[in-house]
Amino acid sequence: MNGAEAMVRCLLEEGVTTIFGIPGVAIAPFYEALYQNQDKIRHVLVRQEQAAGHAASGFARISGRPGVCVTSSGPGATNLITALATAYADSIPMVAITGQVASTLLGRDVFQEADMRGATESFVKYSYLVKNVNDIPRIFREAFYIADTGRKGPVLIDIPCDIQKMSLKRDLVYPDEVDIRGYKPNTKGNRQQMEKVIAAINKAEKPLICVGGGVLLGQAQAEVRGFCEKFRIPLVSTMMGIGVMPKKHPLNFGMLGNNGKPYANTAVSNSDLLIIVGARVADRAVPKPDELERKVSIIHIDIDSAEIGKNLGPTLPLVGDAKEIFANLQNADIRVDTSAWLAELEEFKKNTVDHRVFSDRLVNPKYFVRTLSEKMDEDGIYVADVGQNQLWSADNYVMKEGRFLTTGGMGTMGYSIPASIGARFAAPERQIVTVCGDGAFQMSMYELGTIAVCRLMMKIIVVKNRYLGLVREHQEKVYDGHYFGTQLEDYPKYRELAAAYDMSFFEAWNNEELPEALDAFLASDHASLMVVNVDSANNTK
Amino acid sequence: MKGIFSVLVENKDGVLSAVSGLFARRGYNIDSLAVGETDKHDVSSMTIVSTGDERTIDQIEKQLNKKPDIIKVRRLEEAKVVALEMMLIKVSYSTTNRAPLIELCSVMGAKIMHVSPKYMIIELEKDPESLDEFVMLCKPFGILELQRTGTIAMAKK
Repeated sequence: MNGAEAMVRCLLEEGVTTIFGIPGVAIAPFYEALYQNQDKIRHVLVRQEQAAGHAASGFARISGRPGVCVTSSGPGATNLITALATAYADSIPMVAITGQVASTLLGRDVFQEADMRGATESFVKYSYLVKNVNDIPRIFREAFYIADTGRKGPVLIDIPCDIQKMSLKRDLVYPDEVDIRGYKPNTKGNRQQMEKVIAAINKAEKPLICVGGGVLLGQAQAEVRGFCEKFRIPLVSTMMGIGVMPKKHPLNFGMLGNNGKPYANTAVSNSDLLIIVGARVADRAVPKPDELERKVSIIHIDIDSAEIGKNLGPTLPLVGDAKEIFANLQNADIRVDTSAWLAELEEFKKNTVDHRVFSDRLVNPKYFVRTLSEKMDEDGIYVADVGQNQLWSADNYVMKEGRFLTTGGMGTMGYSIPASIGARFAAPERQIVTVCGDGAFQMSMYELGTIAVCRLMMKIIVVKNRYLGLVREHQEKVYDGHYFGTQLEDYPKYRELAAAYDMSFFEAWNNEELPEALDAFLASDHASLMVVNVDSANNTK
Repeated sequence: MKGIFSVLVENKDGVLSAVSGLFARRGYNIDSLAVGETDKHDVSSMTIVSTGDERTIDQIEKQLNKKPDIIKVRRLEEAKVVALEMMLIKVSYSTTNRAPLIELCSVMGAKIMHVSPKYMIIELEKDPESLDEFVMLCKPFGILELQRTGTIAMAKK
């Protein structure tokens, strides 16, 4: 068995069914091994390596297992870096395999050599450069383990092409156990800290939970929701935490932060105990952490101890897995009466006036997101890109029991289409709708090729305003309307583009025709592209 | 404040750059960094001295702990450690001040390793503060070259 065959065997041992990538000479031996095993592992050829990474991300987020992507060396590998950085910022479990020049040529700047370990040091959870073919089983086992435990994230395996061709000394034995002495993630939650947390909750009169993406990554939605319901503790979420609780749930008070609901922010600043779970407390969610820590007692629960106290402190820390911790907290001796607090929050919510004015030209973006999400399946997956479309989506999406996927950490434009492709392979039957702006669409529109060739049932909506909208909005407010470098004009010709890729085409020009157009778009049994025209004068705030 | 970290790491390539990269990327200071093998050939020991506020020092410890190649991080308290650093210093002299320089070396416990007609190479191995002091006292003679190893430290308990 050679190295490449061993790599495929390891992937099979890990239960990998689908990988996303683009081949090249430096990874060709592995592709030959994939060719021999194509009945067991499906390889999805994407059109640019960044898309392979985002697709692996979408796959991971829906399947709950690490996504796998593969590229060749040099430019193929460096193209992947943005996707690795995106997955790292959003803590998405992923194993990225990159081909490398022959180990004998490493460090000599030969054709298509790039130092991937060095280049990705700050964007991956861990990385390997395989130097001995016999290490492949251990390295793959460790890579999947590191990616999928503790705070999840991408792991890189860079493997020289000559190593892929060398023979293993022994028959491959895939290790059962992983023993990395410097990596022992703590999941349980320290007992004494648990007691302190329970005591703090019992003392609180206005407790509030703030959930982040970590709750979804830890698959702890049911436990957190159960906890909130049992003790009637209200909840707000970050953008990455959307989906922990349906929007219409009486205990859900929306998304906090710069781009969130004003009543969610009021809830945060009026609470007397804020329980942050699986959230980074980054600037978009909590713009002024110093102010918050002065006013409110804080419990910070996270699997990554370094997140606690990084942007906010001092807090009552609890390090561990949200699923385990909330399963335990549900059974704890907690007695809080939140009736008055919930009434107060209801009052905030009722008295919140949305001062934003939307243009009456073309389609109202808020109306569009609401109408679409109401028409979507109960367990539908909504994939939002980055920019105004994302903020309108996060603000107005009526979450049911489905998923809301976006990149809240890195904010990488062009994420939604490849991520949706990945999600499609993880959930072949579920409804998936991709929503992007015309700027983001054009950063990933080459992936229409992947969709066409794989005959994927994709539904892509382009919210078109002929601008890089969020930058245009920034230029309007901060630079006296000096719109510069943000005009996209009327290209591409979407109808022709859809035809070129065998997609059905839909379009809406105003609110009146929108619902019917959406119905037809959603009912289409074909890959479909829909353009929703909105006025560039619309802002998010 | 000062943070002294005694860090056990896997003795393999890329670990030092991962550690120094972490400091650079997050804007932490490295006052000194000393690396060497331990009694186990696959484990190296690093002593890292940094300065920053309490939160920064706390973050350094946590961020170091996140690296799978870092086996153990110990934050040492300045008062409870034996700290040692070594220095080589090339100091110029003339006939008039030769005797005071030799006297200074003997008072401070420094060894003269090499003598040439115009300069001496002196070695001193002590706690980092004594080294600072010695450098200051040598300045009037004229320092031609100076090298320090960085602090190594061990907890007394």
